[in-house]
Amino acid sequence: MSAMLLPKDKWPEFTGRLAGKNLFAPALQGGIKKFAPVAAGDTVTLDEGNTTVPPKALLFPQTETLFRFAEGEEGMELPAIDEAAVLLGVRPCDARAMAIVDKLFRWDYEDPYYLKRRELATIIGLACSEPCLNCFCTSVGGGPASTEGLDILMVDLGESYLLEGLTDKGQALLDEFKDLLQEAGADALQRKEQLAQEAAAKIKRSVDTAGIPEALPGLWEDPLWQRVSAACLGCGICTYLCPTCHCFDIQDEVEGAAGRRCRMWDSCMYAEYTKHTSGHNPRPTRRERTRNRINHKYSYYVDKFGVIACVGCGRCSNLCPVNIDLIDILRQVKAAP
Amino acid sequence: MDLNKLRETAAGIVSREDVKYLIGWRRGTFGYRVSPYFIEDAAGVEELIFSPLCISNLATYLTLVERLPVPRGQQPDERKVALLVKGCDSRAVNQLLVEKGINRDRVIVVGLPCPGMVDWKLLAEKYPETEAPVEMRWQGDDFLLVHNGQEIVVPRAEALAEKCRLCRHPNPVISDATVGEPVQPWEPAEDSGVGEIEAKSAPERWAYWEEQFSKCLRCYSCRNVCPLCYCEDCILDRLNPTWVNRAFNFSENTAFHLARAFHLAGRCIECGECERVCPAGIPLGRLNRKLAKTVREEYGFEPGLDAEGEPFQASYRPEDPEEFIL
Amino acid sequence: MSEQFEPNIVAFLCNWCSYAGADLAGTSRIQYPANIKVIRVMCSGRVNPLFVVNALQQGADGVLISGCHPGDCHYMEGNFYARRRLKLLKELLEYIGVDPRRFNMSWVSASEGHKWKEVVEKAVEDARAAGPFNQFRRRQIGW
Repeated sequence: MSAMLLPKDKWPEFTGRLAGKNLFAPALQGGIKKFAPVAAGDTVTLDEGNTTVPPKALLFPQTETLFRFAEGEEGMELPAIDEAAVLLGVRPCDARAMAIVDKLFRWDYEDPYYLKRRELATIIGLACSEPCLNCFCTSVGGGPASTEGLDILMVDLGESYLLEGLTDKGQALLDEFKDLLQEAGADALQRKEQLAQEAAAKIKRSVDTAGIPEALPGLWEDPLWQRVSAACLGCGICTYLCPTCHCFDIQDEVEGAAGRRCRMWDSCMYAEYTKHTSGHNPRPTRRERTRNRINHKYSYYVDKFGVIACVGCGRCSNLCPVNIDLIDILRQVKAAP
Repeated sequence: MDLNKLRETAAGIVSREDVKYLIGWRRGTFGYRVSPYFIEDAAGVEELIFSPLCISNLATYLTLVERLPVPRGQQPDERKVALLVKGCDSRAVNQLLVEKGINRDRVIVVGLPCPGMVDWKLLAEKYPETEAPVEMRWQGDDFLLVHNGQEIVVPRAEALAEKCRLCRHPNPVISDATVGEPVQPWEPAEDSGVGEIEAKSAPERWAYWEEQFSKCLRCYSCRNVCPLCYCEDCILDRLNPTWVNRAFNFSENTAFHLARAFHLAGRCIECGECERVCPAGIPLGRLNRKLAKTVREEYGFEPGLDAEGEPFQASYRPEDPEEFIL
Repeated sequence: MSEQFEPNIVAFLCNWCSYAGADLAGTSRIQYPANIKVIRVMCSGRVNPLFVVNALQQGADGVLISGCHPGDCHYMEGNFYARRRLKLLKELLEYIGVDPRRFNMSWVSASEGHKWKEVVEKAVEDARAAGPFNQFRRRQIGW
């Protein structure tokens, strides 16, 4: 594995050549920032802040066809997932989320759709230098230059970018760009460490998550859930835009004599999420749903996979229209008896 | 705004035996945020606020709160719910009464004449959100912002929310108690958002909405926040028949937005909540206000002004316009 | 030389007037374009505006709704409600940039076989001029 320097004057050439590899990078589309395909000749500008829609949407699309069927046909037709992609400018928190979600999709059943996309994608991360107001990655085991889930970590050193190959996939990509890159010296690596520390120091909000997974089961009937969920609208913002939320619903769409089975994002905050055919709903109100959202991330996932399913990107707190603030909920959990 | 007076009134209401809680606002946990606040006892009123940041319409909670089946042998909770309303919010209460979505005997409406609310997103460019919650007050016609310990006067035109620029009813149209003096209604601004689209050619209009509907994430926050979207069985959740496929694609997104806008035609009271909560920044108000404008101009009808009135789409006049019919 | 575009038009006809009017046109051997696919409903007031949206999604190039003349509704007032609703829908579709010629509404009584023919001709002509609809048609189901 190597650490290389990409001088910034080579950036257009670097991204130009990457564009030929089915490149996705953050872009502002009609006022909303998300990962969008980069065509040859497009300029890629990596600015501060994160995308509204996390890059999970590329590996775990909001709607995905599982198979197609038609009347009179034997069997079904499966999609071909065979296109490699490069994701440029993924924030370390979102990359960490991919590593966390991998565990679920690899668990009792290996999900071929997600895992194939994941395998075909090369993730180039961008270390953060200016954390956003609600960033709290350092509270949940991440950091502004965390490398988990990434193939290459990119750090803005001012004059140039430092690119560190982290996996074979990442290293192979770097090798292809040898002509643009120079070997990075010890000073560059030192500078990176220093920048990461500076960025971490700029993180404003934090919560001590130690003990939360252990405390949650005991707070099942605590009044805090009523308190924090009273204002909840039951919409899907916090879960749809969460990089680790991965719940989906499966539905058939039929038109005429042909159709498809597809899966689409679902949200545990929706009223019909656990609704049974009988009409009974084991999570009948927003209180149980909110409790489930927090428990899933901070307790069940920890039990099953040994890691908190939250990367501290702050999107849920940032975008909740009624100020249901995850950090605040966690603090209340800590303060509960 | 005399906060003490408001808190006093609120304390009086929540202390009553027959009141379950009062819904108001309290300071949020950071930045410009304000949170809806459910007060159950008099001690809770200390955190109650009413400031230019209290833009959210609390009337939505009248129908959003789940009504679970009462276990055998228990009596249903018949206590009243009290609610703080601005002018626009009060119209939502009226419209709910017209539609018999709520029972008049079960709500206590506390009216707050509203001098206009702030769209904090307009402010955040210049004065970024801070970790500590900021405070805002009205000062004359303008707003006073306390930001990083500094008092800054923000001119009204710089931060006034769009819905407030267009507001025709700043004073509550229904209330059981009013706190504060009625405000002098201002001249509503021209609806430049709707006007801009109307001035476009059909292909341009389509290009505009195509971009907007493509952005939709289908999180349904616009539906859920709307005080007048309260069907227990929403067509968007229905599977048999499936009116709008759950799949996320442009065709379904468009069908969803047409259905949402249409279901609010003649009912929307222009509180702007749908547009405010949209994480994708879709100007939903421009859809609603267009229909509201048609209803107002061609039928002379404005929803939510009269609690005894008729619902627009469930009534008619023999002389209604029909120039479009062959 | 390209062939003339033949639009698909879904027509919702009320059982009591327009459907009978269309029937009369048929029994009177009045020729009218075959682009119309008729769906009989009990009243024009039964036409949920989503029927229109759904028809356009599923491949219609135009939609026609027809009911009894005002005052003649079998259910006294169903067509009055339809008139209010469908006007708003028409405005809404136009506002988002859908060609208004795709949407027509008419009053056709049981005795107006000739009027039915004229209405259909107008609806077909309009939809033909507007061209194939694909603005928010469900694309062929893809991956």
